[in-house]
Parts: sequence; C-alpha cells; structure tokens
Amino acid sequence: MTVDASIGSHNPIVSEAAAIEVLAYLITAARAQMDEAAEYAPMRLITAAQKLGGHMVPKASRPVQELLRALDTFAPTATPRADRDEYLAQLDGLCVVLADCLLALTGPVTSE
Amino acid sequence: MTAVDRAVYDALRARRVTRRMSDRAVDPETVGLVVRAAKFAPNAGNRRLQPVVAVTNGTKLRLLRLISPGMIPVPQAAVVISIDVGRAASYGFPPRAPGLYVDVGTVAATLLTAAQAAGLGACPVTSFSRAAAGRILNLPETVQPHMIICLGYPDPTGGPPPMPKP
Ligand SMILES: Cc1cc2nc3c(=O)[nH]c(=O)nc-3n(C[C@H](O)[C@H](O)[C@H](O)COP(=O)(O)O)c2cc1C
Repeated sequence: MTVDASIGSHNPIVSEAAAIEVLAYLITAARAQMDEAAEYAPMRLITAAQKLGGHMVPKASRPVQELLRALDTFAPTATPRADRDEYLAQLDGLCVVLADCLLALTGPVTSE
Repeated sequence: MTAVDRAVYDALRARRVTRRMSDRAVDPETVGLVVRAAKFAPNAGNRRLQPVVAVTNGTKLRLLRLISPGMIPVPQAAVVISIDVGRAASYGFPPRAPGLYVDVGTVAATLLTAAQAAGLGACPVTSFSRAAAGRILNLPETVQPHMIICLGYPDPTGGPPPMPKP
C-alpha cells in the first residue's frame, strides 16, 4: 500500500483499536448491504467516514478539523429518500469541503 | 374503550425507537421481564422456533455493536431473536420459509412493547452480520440470529430523529 507523501502529516493519527472498529464496520456493512435497500449504501459510507473522522479529531490538523465538522452535519439516519436533490447537494457540498481540505494540506498549487 | 384498553392503545401509539441510550445499567430482572414476554407473542402453529437470548455482558455487547452497522444506540443490554432452522427442518419447513421470519416480527413487536412497559428504550436492529453475531454469541450453526433488540434507558438529552415516516 502506498500513501501520497505530499498530502498531510505522516504522524499516526488513529490507534489499532480505532482502525479495527472502522474496518469491522466496513466489512459487515458490505455484507448487510446485500440484504438491504440501495438507499442505505451512501448512509453506510458516510457513517464509516464519520467513525474514522471521530477517531481522527484529537490529532487532526486545522483543515482536517474543518472537513470533520462538515462531515458531522449528516444525521446518522439520513438517506436520499425524502429529498434526493437535497441529499445530493449535501454530498456535493461535503466533496467541495474535502477538496478545500486537500488543497490546504497540499499547500499552494503553482499554475502550470 | 375501558381505561386499560385505552392505556394499551396509547402505549402502542407512543412507542418510538430509542437511538440514544444513557449509561444507566439495566438490571437483569428487567431484561428477564422483557425476554419472558416472547412467550406471549402470537406464533404460527405455536411451534416457538424463534429462540430469544439476552445479552448483558459488556464485552459481548461491544463486540455485537462492532459487527452491526445498523446499531446506532450504545445499549446496556440486548435481546437477540433467532430462528432455530434445525428444529424448523424437523417439522418439515423448507429452508427460508416465510412464516419463520414473520414470527421473528411478532416476537419483536411483543418485546418492544414489553420493553416500553418496563420503562426501557428499545431499538430493533437487523443490519448486522448474522455470521459474525452467531460466532460472538456462540450459537449452534442451526440457530440463526435475525434481530437484535437494543435495550437501555433513553438518554434524557434526546437523540437523532426517528427515520422518516413513509
Ligand atoms: C425489521 C426492522 C429492522 C430494523 N432495523 C433497524 C436498524 O438496523 N437500525 C435502526 O436504527 N433501526 C432499525 N429499525 C427501526 C426502524 O427504523 C423504526 O422502527 C422506524 O423508523 C419507525 O420508527 P418508530 O419505531 O420510532 O416508529 C428496524 C425496524 C424493524 C421493524
């Protein structure tokens, strides 16, 4: 496994206990999803991200903290059911915050 | 309606899942009261092929939560409803006979009402790995877990909103 060395700190940010919790969630969510409504799939991925994010909070840098705050605005039972457009907008908004976080971690990008 | 009938109806109407539970312990008698209510559930042919086990061990509860993506509460106890497929086969049920699953539902509804009567919050969970849960609970291979009912006192500070109603 390789990590992009140019983005973010290289200090360990989560413990084995935290990582195994997220791993267990992802593996069992993959199995559970086989029997569940498709609308649950994005909810599970966001919850997994929230679990990982929760463990990162104490040691995260400022740009990552901002991303984690935005991630936490998703309710634990939010699905695209009620309003698909609103859900899409919320996800797109989160992706923009993610992009800002990545840019902040990379440092100024020189134009080519 | 008599006052008792009205109280039963009001209880049904007032029940909601509890997804945020306090860390107040639930004593074993109260869990037992909930578990024993399973025998009051209507059951096809009265064969009782849905064993119900209580989980109160803290480590087991934590492990169950780790393998249950749908478990939002942090429960103080849990009740697991399974299907005994070995006994079902001995009655001549084909595998995956729908009636066996319907009876999981009737047991669940009864346990949820009993939990409410006991002052407990409850949250049914079917989003979990049955294979991993069977291993953690040391169930025989012929006993398949199908629902975990989380139990605990509601956190007075509230919790996430219930799922949207259709
Ligand atoms: C078969 C079944 C499975 C359920 N599984 C879950 C679950 O995995 N996680 C969860 O938080 N709630 C679960 N629920 C609870 C429902 O989401 C809840 O009952 C529904 O949103 C209606 O809310 P109410 O019970 O407060 O009226 C389940 C309910 C049933 C009947």
